[in-house]
Amino acid sequence: MTHLEDSKIISLFYERSEQAIAELERKYGAAVVKTAANILSSKQDVEECANDTYLGVWNTIPPQNPNPLISYVCKIARNIATLKYHSNTAIKRNGQYDLVLDELEECIPSAVNVESDYEAKELSDAISRFLDTLKYEDRFYFIRRYWYADSISDIAAMTQRDSHLISVHLFRTREKLYHYLKEEGLLV
Amino acid sequence: MKREQLSKVICNIDERQIAEAYQFNPDLCSDSPERIVHMSKKRIFTFALAAALILSLGIAAYAAFFSMTRRVPEKSETFRINWEPNPSGYLDWSNAKLAITFPETAESKEIEFRPGWLPDELSSLKNELWRNRLTAEGLADKYPDMTGSQPLLIETYSMSQFNNGGALLLLYYVPDEIIEDHWDDLSVDVMRFHCTQHFDARPEHNIDEYTLEQDIILLSNADEGWVVRLAGEIGMDQLVKVAKNLEIRETGNVMTYDDFENHYNFMDGGVG
Repeated sequence: MTHLEDSKIISLFYERSEQAIAELERKYGAAVVKTAANILSSKQDVEECANDTYLGVWNTIPPQNPNPLISYVCKIARNIATLKYHSNTAIKRNGQYDLVLDELEECIPSAVNVESDYEAKELSDAISRFLDTLKYEDRFYFIRRYWYADSISDIAAMTQRDSHLISVHLFRTREKLYHYLKEEGLLV
Repeated sequence: MKREQLSKVICNIDERQIAEAYQFNPDLCSDSPERIVHMSKKRIFTFALAAALILSLGIAAYAAFFSMTRRVPEKSETFRINWEPNPSGYLDWSNAKLAITFPETAESKEIEFRPGWLPDELSSLKNELWRNRLTAEGLADKYPDMTGSQPLLIETYSMSQFNNGGALLLLYYVPDEIIEDHWDDLSVDVMRFHCTQHFDARPEHNIDEYTLEQDIILLSNADEGWVVRLAGEIGMDQLVKVAKNLEIRETGNVMTYDDFENHYNFMDGGVG
């Protein structure tokens, strides 16, 4: 199956052509569903999240002209999925995403002060700078685990690596991130 | 920080990094500060020393230099392996048929490999990807005479996992004659054997008696602290050829005892 180039899909959005959403879904629909399904446990929630994502893209392009398109789309999906996740009752929540947040709390503890959007942005930027210091593989493991919320076994299958070794790498990266944020003065 | 905020903070990392992780690109792994070690490079000094010792002291000296030690554990000896992260999630095993131990190593170099040669039947597994595990169980149908379901398995281990008397265990299978060797051109100690596990008939379940078989090769590099295990049913000759053509490199990471939850490991099985 051939897919349209990102720039052509964006052109369709600018033309307000409904084909834009069909092409977006055809190219990135699986990624949107996977991103949502890693965070949400209910199939219905995932479907709603995917539809809301396409609507979100429709409402923001134009004026946005994102490059790369994939991260823009997945980010909208992730935002919608996490909002839904946090508004769900505990019983409806996805245990895997709980685990992801538990692991993240090891290196970004609750004592971190991010009361304002500015402080949250500062912390996100610091994490990005830290990720740039890592080797490609470690950065890949980290983002797949904590941004895409993939299971360790999914990451192992993607990379043809042993699950245990990926866990070890992630553990070490979390430790490094903790020390990095401490040195940057972002941990109280 | 509230968990909602934590979700938001992670969500807002650089989009370039998110896009980069959309798909795994093994080519980018070579950009990392790794040191490629082709196994054909000889550890000249070590081997020269070993050769001198062998010449002067004979077989006894060679045996003393060998980096793997094997023994048959006592029946009462138990080994505990955690298999789930909870207090009851462990397995106690006694009646191991063979235990292999390695020199105490505080740090092991983490390695990955790619096969330089595979039998025609498994050629679809040959690509440029570096891995630390290769399983050919998906191609079991290419070997209709197999007793089990694993034609070829290649796994890596760190000797640092097995400190404090830890062992690689051969649990179910009974080894035939064990051949110990040193492959000069690969600079590894080698232990290889054919092994079997016999199952009695169970008429109540309509199961005849049967025997599982496999070959195992262990490649051990004591200087770097790693072990590679090749196992399966492609036949010892072909398994040796796969082993001799493995390309191995270090990832630049080291593995220590604390990196491992279990300090024993199984050698038999290997499906999944």
